[in-house]
This record gives sequence, C-alpha cells and structure tokens, in this order.
Amino acid sequence: MNKRILIVDDSFYMRTMLKNMLTDAGYDVVGEAANGQQALEMAVATTPDLITLDVILPDNTGLDVLKGIRQQQPDAKVVMCSAVGQETIVNEAIENGALAYIVKPFSEERVLEIVGGALQGDGPRA
Amino acid sequence: MKSRDQEYRELFMAEALEYYDAMSRHLSELERNPQDTEALNELFRLMHNLKANARAMGFVDMGEVAHKMETLFGQIRGQERTFTGSLVQLTFGAVDTLGNMIRAVGAGQESADAHVLLDNLDRLIRGEEPVQAAPEQTTEEADADAGRKLELSDLVYIPVKKLDNLLNLVGELVIDRDRILTLAAELGNAALQTTAQHLFRISDDLQYSVMDVRLVGAGVLLNKFPRVVRDVAAAENKQVELTLAGQDVQIDRNVLQLITDALLHIVRNGVSHGLEDAATRVAAGKPAVGQLRISALTERDDVLIQIQDDGRGIDTEAVRQKAIRKGVITAEAAALLDEEGVWMLLFEAGFSMAEKITDISGRGVGLDVVKLAIDSLGGQLRVSSELGKGTMFTLVLPTSIAVKGALLVELDARAYAVPLLHTDTVLALHADEIFAVGGLLMTRVQEENVPLVPLRQLLYVEGDEPLPRATRADLPADDTLHQVLVVSYNNRRLGLIVDRFLRQQNIVVKPLSKPLDTIDLFGGVTLLGSGQLCLVLDVPALTRLFLTKRP
Amino acid sequence: MADSSAAPGSRRAAPVAPEAVVQLIVFRLGDEDYGIRIEQVKEVTVTPEVVKMPKTPPFIKGIANLRGDIIAIVDLEERFQLRPAGRPVPDFSYTLAVEAADYTLGLMVREVPRPLTIPVSLIEPAPEFVQDSGQRDKYLEGIAKLPDSEGVIIVLDMAKLLTPSEIMRLPGRVEPPAAKADEAPNAPTPPEKP
Repeated sequence: MNKRILIVDDSFYMRTMLKNMLTDAGYDVVGEAANGQQALEMAVATTPDLITLDVILPDNTGLDVLKGIRQQQPDAKVVMCSAVGQETIVNEAIENGALAYIVKPFSEERVLEIVGGALQGDGPRA
Repeated sequence: MKSRDQEYRELFMAEALEYYDAMSRHLSELERNPQDTEALNELFRLMHNLKANARAMGFVDMGEVAHKMETLFGQIRGQERTFTGSLVQLTFGAVDTLGNMIRAVGAGQESADAHVLLDNLDRLIRGEEPVQAAPEQTTEEADADAGRKLELSDLVYIPVKKLDNLLNLVGELVIDRDRILTLAAELGNAALQTTAQHLFRISDDLQYSVMDVRLVGAGVLLNKFPRVVRDVAAAENKQVELTLAGQDVQIDRNVLQLITDALLHIVRNGVSHGLEDAATRVAAGKPAVGQLRISALTERDDVLIQIQDDGRGIDTEAVRQKAIRKGVITAEAAALLDEEGVWMLLFEAGFSMAEKITDISGRGVGLDVVKLAIDSLGGQLRVSSELGKGTMFTLVLPTSIAVKGALLVELDARAYAVPLLHTDTVLALHADEIFAVGGLLMTRVQEENVPLVPLRQLLYVEGDEPLPRATRADLPADDTLHQVLVVSYNNRRLGLIVDRFLRQQNIVVKPLSKPLDTIDLFGGVTLLGSGQLCLVLDVPALTRLFLTKRP
Repeated sequence: MADSSAAPGSRRAAPVAPEAVVQLIVFRLGDEDYGIRIEQVKEVTVTPEVVKMPKTPPFIKGIANLRGDIIAIVDLEERFQLRPAGRPVPDFSYTLAVEAADYTLGLMVREVPRPLTIPVSLIEPAPEFVQDSGQRDKYLEGIAKLPDSEGVIIVLDMAKLLTPSEIMRLPGRVEPPAAKADEAPNAPTPPEKP
C-alpha cells in the first residue's frame, strides 16, 4: 500500500506543486489543509503516514500545529516546510519532534529524498 | 490536460493577485493603526507565501522584494522597529511594485528593473534611511499609474476547486427545488406553483451555466499523445503514424482528468499489442507504417473518444481461452459469450493479453483500469474489431459530471462516503469526553452539546421504535478513542460514531437505481478507485432518522 | 449481450412445423426448475462482489457493479422461501441480469443457468392450488411439463415480479417494509444531468 501523506500549507499553489510531486512519486496524498485548525482535524481524520507542515500558517504558527499534532499522535511523522532564514523556528520544530525540513523553493529530488528518508525513520535532517 | 507549467502559472497568478489585494488592504489597516498585530501577521504571512511561490516559479526579483518585505515586517513584529516614517511610504511603493510585477507575469511581459527598490529595502533593514524616500515620479507616470488602477482584467482566475464547490451547491439547490415543486403541486396553490416553475427554470439555467464554465477542448488531453505514441513506438520498434481529430470538442475538465490514465493505457496497448511491426505488416500485405487515430466527437449529450488502429485485430478465441486459463471466467460462462462479450474480458481484472512483460504495458496494471475509470463516470466502453484489419475502442463519456468532495469513513470493514458539504468536524474522543443526558450520548463541540449516535445503530437497527437509551456504561471500558464525525444539516449537529476515518476523496455520485432508490438514507453510490462500491450517506435523511428515533 | 449468445444453436433447433416456440433460461431454486423467457434476460454472469445494503429486506443481498450499472441482487430462494433448511447461501453463484421496464435487477442462482427451447403449448397456466410457497404463484406465467418425464419448469413472469413495490415486499407481508414508497416520486434527482 502506498504511503499516505497529508499536506499542510496555506498556499494553494504550493500545495498543488507538492501534491503533484508526491503523487507522481507514488505517494497517496490523503488530504490538504490550509490552516492550523484544518491540519489538526485532518491529521485525526486521515491518520497519514507523514505530514508536511508549513512553518507559517494563518491561524497558528506551524510550531503550534506541530505541538498539537504530536499531542494527538505522539508517533506522527512530520516534515517542516520553511524558507531560508527561518533556522530558529526550524530548530525549535526539530526539538519538538519534527523529523526533517524542506527549504522552499524546493526541488522535486530534494522533496522526495527528504520525505522518503523521514518515512524510513531517519533522524532529523535537512 | 494543460501542461503542468501552465497550470502552475495560472495557480500562481490567481493566488498572487489575491495576495496583492490582501496586502494593499492590510497595509492601509496598519497605516491607520500601527498596533494592528493581525494585519501585521497577515502581511508577514502573505509576503512569505509570495516569496516562496515566486521563487518556485523562478521570478527572482519578485521573490527578492517579497523576501525583504517579509524581513521588514518580521522586524516590526519583533518590535525592532515601528511602522512609521519613511518605512511606510517605501512599503506602499514596494507593494505597488509587487502588483506591477504580478500583472507583468499575467501579461507575459518583463517587469521593470527593481534594483533601486531592493537597495532601499536593504538600507531600511540595516536601519539606514532609504536614499530616495519616495522615488520621484513624473506627472505622466503618476497619471499612468492612476489610470492603470482603474483597469480590471476581463479574465478572472478560478481554481477548479471553487467551481466544484459551486457546482455542488447548485446540485443541492436542484434537489431542494425538486422538493419545492412537489410540495407546491401537493398544496395546489397556483401562485406558489408559478413561482416554483420560475425557480425551476432559473436553477436549470444556473446549473448549465456553471457546468459550461468547466468545459474545455478535448485537445488539452489529445495533444499529449504525439509524444506518448512516439515514445512507445520507439521502445517497441514500430512505425506508427498518429492522427488526431476533434480537439475542439467541449468536455468537462474533470471528466478528462478522470480518463487520462485510461486513455494512456488504451493508446499504449494499441501501439504495443494492436499494431504489428513493419516486417509483419509488409508480410501481411499492409503498409509498413501503422495507423493510429484518436478522435473526439459529440453524440447527443455524450462525448465519444475513439482510438482506432489498423493492426492485427482481436483474436476472439485466443482471448476466450486465455480468460478461462487465467480464471477470469469459467468455461461454462465463457461458452455463453458472444464475440463482443469476449472482447470485454480484455478489461477484466487479472486479464493481460501480453505474454511477455514489457516496459510499456506490463506495469502490473492492465486494461481493467480503463473499465474502472469509465464505470466511475457512468460512461460506457465499446469495442469493435476485425481480425487482420484493426481494432477500435470507443469511450462514451458524459459531457459533464458533478464531482463531490467526500470524507470516507469505515464501519464493519465497509467504506461509506459522507459529502463534505455536510461534514462539520472530526473528533477522536476519550470516554471521559462523552456524557449521557436523557438516554443520549453527548459531547461538547465549540461550546455546544452535540448528540452522538453510533452510525451502526442508525443504519442497521430495524423498525421504527426509538433507539435504546444510551448510558456511558455502553462505552467500552478500555481507553480506545471514539472516532466521531460531526455532520451538520439545518444548523443541527450530530456526531456519528464510526470505526475509523479513511481519507478525503473526490467522488462521482451515481444515483441508486430502482427499487433501492426509495431508501432515502443513501444519496447514491460511488465506485472507489479499487472498483469497490461505496454507499454515499445522505446527511439530511440520517438527521431526520435520528430525530424520529431518538430515545 | 445478444440474446442468441445465451442460447447457441437454438434457432436451428426450432422445428419446421409452424408451432410457436419459446426460449427460456432455466435455473434451479431450491429443488425446483424455474424458467424466464430469454428476452427478459439481459445477461448471465458470475455474481460480482455484493455490497450489503442497510434498510433492505433480507432477501436483497445488496448491490453490485455490473458493467457500470449498479443493480440490486435478489435471492429468489429466500424471497420465495424455497431454500431447504440448513442449506447455506453459496459462496459462488451466478447472477441473471433481468430487465424491467426502466431498470435492471440481478437474480442470484446457485447453478449455472441453461438455455432451453420448448413449444409454447407446453406451458400450462398455473393451477389454483399452488398456494403454498409465499407469493410465488402471483408471478407465474405457467408451468411447462417437459416430455418424456423430464420434469416440470415453473415459468416466471418477470414483468409482474419486477415492479419496485413487489420486489421490496416481504413474503407474507402486505406493506412494503421501507414504508417510503410514497416518497419515490420525490426522490432527489442527481445534479449531473438535469
């Protein structure tokens, strides 16, 4: 069975691009969330194998959402999506259980490498 | 299909224009009230998104401006500086520049050089004053600016999702309309009946208009095939001439999307199995180059897509024997099939005509995906073939379909679909978050008591008697989480206890045929990708059933 | 599928005499042979995966996907109370897709049905005293006595059986159990095709 991924990003463009990359690579994108509230609900509803989580979201920061998800599901695998210059947030995210982070703008190879690594249970990496 | 690049470009534009409007709005709010943290946070987030998206699209300058603006708003947010002085003017100017850049992308033009602005933004970030507080404009430029702001594009960018949502709403409207028509007829009130008739016509027009918006030319998909055919022909060492026809035939974008894989399979199959190699063709007295034709045409309300080759044709007896050998059908049943019935076996799961697995058509999936895709659309598949002369596959497709977003839930190892239109929220509740009042299980959702009922009880407990009075003692003693889907209808919320949540998915709802259409708990049925049947729950009817049966 | 495919060679078997013949699809229910006129049968197939449907009488086994048509699958043995006690529903069965005026229904049978051509004159109206098997007699066209003591075939009239209210009716009960029959004309129209 294909690995199931939930995408959390407030940009429709970004979600579509990520979704295309992941779907083309054989993953099932089981849901998309555009804000923190949706992300928390969808994480429960879809029990994905992995969540890609944008660090900046309209209603919560990505960090709050990460904490919320890890509280609901301590084993949830989360990969953060950030831009350059957000190393502080990213480091805090890793301390809070995120497995890895992808720096925007991202290349397809990079995304697949990091997502694949996180699903195989590698430790924190970028 | 549009190319990915084109799709990304359109999505980018649609969002960038939205961002630009929101930035302008929030900037004005921030100017009025520099303490408005909400506006500040939004500006920061919008700049962040625009930066990431622009960089992904390769718009370097736009990404740089947005990046520096994000940094500035970050500094304001971090209280390293305030939204005052030269900064105010420069940020307004920068947002205007971003707007120009976005419009230039839309018009396919180069945007003006931005280095002066970028340098000034850098100075501000370093805490210096910008060199030219406001880049001076000539009067003409200012006039041109003023004029430009009044021009609105004749085109709007609409994500397909919004259209789907619109069509879903129209679908719901049509259902209510039909109810009103029936009620009006029952009541026999002439004025009401006239109004209902009017409503009927308007909502009909509305439905057609919305569907019309989603129509695209079949060419967006067909035009992908020259490349596909070339690649497959090269890999299979065959000579193929492809002709396309009917690229202008109008069809729902979602229909095209759903049949993309199916068409790909048929075309690959046609090249690798239908057409012979040059030597075989010449030996059979045919031209060395094989002909493949893909055409779209309109037939009444349907669109036909035909894939025709002049290859070897289908060997009916070979297919019949192979199907029996592969266990697709019993020998008895196979003997009853006529020629066309045998050809349809090609599309059964487990049947794959190629004895050798090739790169092109031996990917573990066969022509059965074609049948699944067509079935899920409520379309038809026709085959005609003549041995030695060629084969033609015809996909009969609806011009338009309504795709509904739905949440799939599982109950007793069966999937049920609940339209997103009526889903409110999903909860995973511990037993201590559930309480019993008056024989009903309840939980708190956003300051409101919401009754909970096992979906199993609503679906399977027979008779019209009230449901048994529930107490907390009914809940399992262990600490398993109770999966609850909160649905809402008429502002009334109801929590359905299910076994688990599967996923969110777009579904095509097929109405139930007689005699089962009298069971109003189901809005229809849908075929999942696996070919599995899935009942679609009707939330209004479930809610009504709960109200009549509540203890 | 063409009718002729289900009865290969049956045209050749027609006698030269001007006597009218009827082609039947014959199948077993309980320990009796039943027949349906071939023009009422759309297709014979191995029963596809059947999905149980809540709020239906027990003889409706559920719904199945038959070449894109979603049809109800009916167990006539249960409907007519013909299944001998203790004999379970078979794991593997065949389905006859039969056509009513505006919909298709699947009849589940345990053995592979066979085509048979007989003179119309062999079919005799059902005797009045066959009143012991639920409401089966209401749907009979007649009973065909085969020559040479090859038994009898009970010929069903699908047109009578297949009205939606009849098919949903439980044996021995007059009211349809769904009790929603009056709502049928109001059934929501699908938004796809106005």
